[in-house]
Amino acid sequence: MKTPREILLERHRAAVPQLDAIRREILDAKFRRRNLVATLWGELILPSRRVWSGLAAAWLLILVVNFAERDPAPAGKLSAAPAMISLGEQQRLLNEYFADRTPAADADREKTFSPKPRTEKF
Amino acid sequence: MPEVSDLEILPVPQARAGEAGAWDALFRRFQLPLYAYVFELVRDEQAGLDIVQETFIAATKYIGGLREDGKFGSWLFGIAHQKVVQHWRKRKEVLYDEVPEPEDGFEDGPDELLIRREQELVFMNLVAQLQPPQRAVVLLYFLEEFSLEEIARVTETNIGTVKSRLHYAKKLLRKLLEAKNENAA
Repeated sequence: MKTPREILLERHRAAVPQLDAIRREILDAKFRRRNLVATLWGELILPSRRVWSGLAAAWLLILVVNFAERDPAPAGKLSAAPAMISLGEQQRLLNEYFADRTPAADADREKTFSPKPRTEKF
Repeated sequence: MPEVSDLEILPVPQARAGEAGAWDALFRRFQLPLYAYVFELVRDEQAGLDIVQETFIAATKYIGGLREDGKFGSWLFGIAHQKVVQHWRKRKEVLYDEVPEPEDGFEDGPDELLIRREQELVFMNLVAQLQPPQRAVVLLYFLEEFSLEEIARVTETNIGTVKSRLHYAKKLLRKLLEAKNENAA
């Protein structure tokens, strides 16, 4: 003798493998991604959370210092052109200066001095 | 005999907290009765499996809406019942063909009715012959031994309607089984 429940469940027992597959599929889909995050968090981060916090703080500090010390990029780029112009100008002036000091015909010829005896005056 | 639901402590709080093992235990517990219930109402294996799958997915999604952990079973069957009704609507099947029945008492429990091996087919045929609303009530009563109040909640009807449907179904079942016994004798 069986209860109606037993009869009903027995009648559909052949569907159990398919129901098992459905159950596994749903649980896998729901908990796979969550498990990965939980595993990483639980096994990698939590045990050495002070170290990770320290590292994070250090990186933050480095970033802040880096940003604070950095010159504004556009101004730096623009200042290079006038500097080059200035250098070119100085070069030109130097060239001109040295060009003017090239020896002229007789102007800078060294005068030779040959002393004469004093006695010749008398 | 104690009711099925009275003997169980289901891991509903753990499932609510997101424990995969708790969900696995709950699904294992309900997958076969739920499938039996759905199949007997839709009469289609693939549709039955699809509805069970959709029900489980919805359960994991909306567990926050469950007020009493002790009512998890009837809550789950309620989701499945809604999906069955949607399936009927898609198929444009006749949902409710009400037959007025007297609201007699229905005191004896589901296990009072014991069925011999040779009568099992008669029982299943009878279940199949019932109108869908009566069939739903009978299945919920026999499969999970839900209270009249829980069955009313699952099927979204009032307790009086559940009582009368159950009375009608059980009376018919007894009559058929007795007739079979007399014929056998």
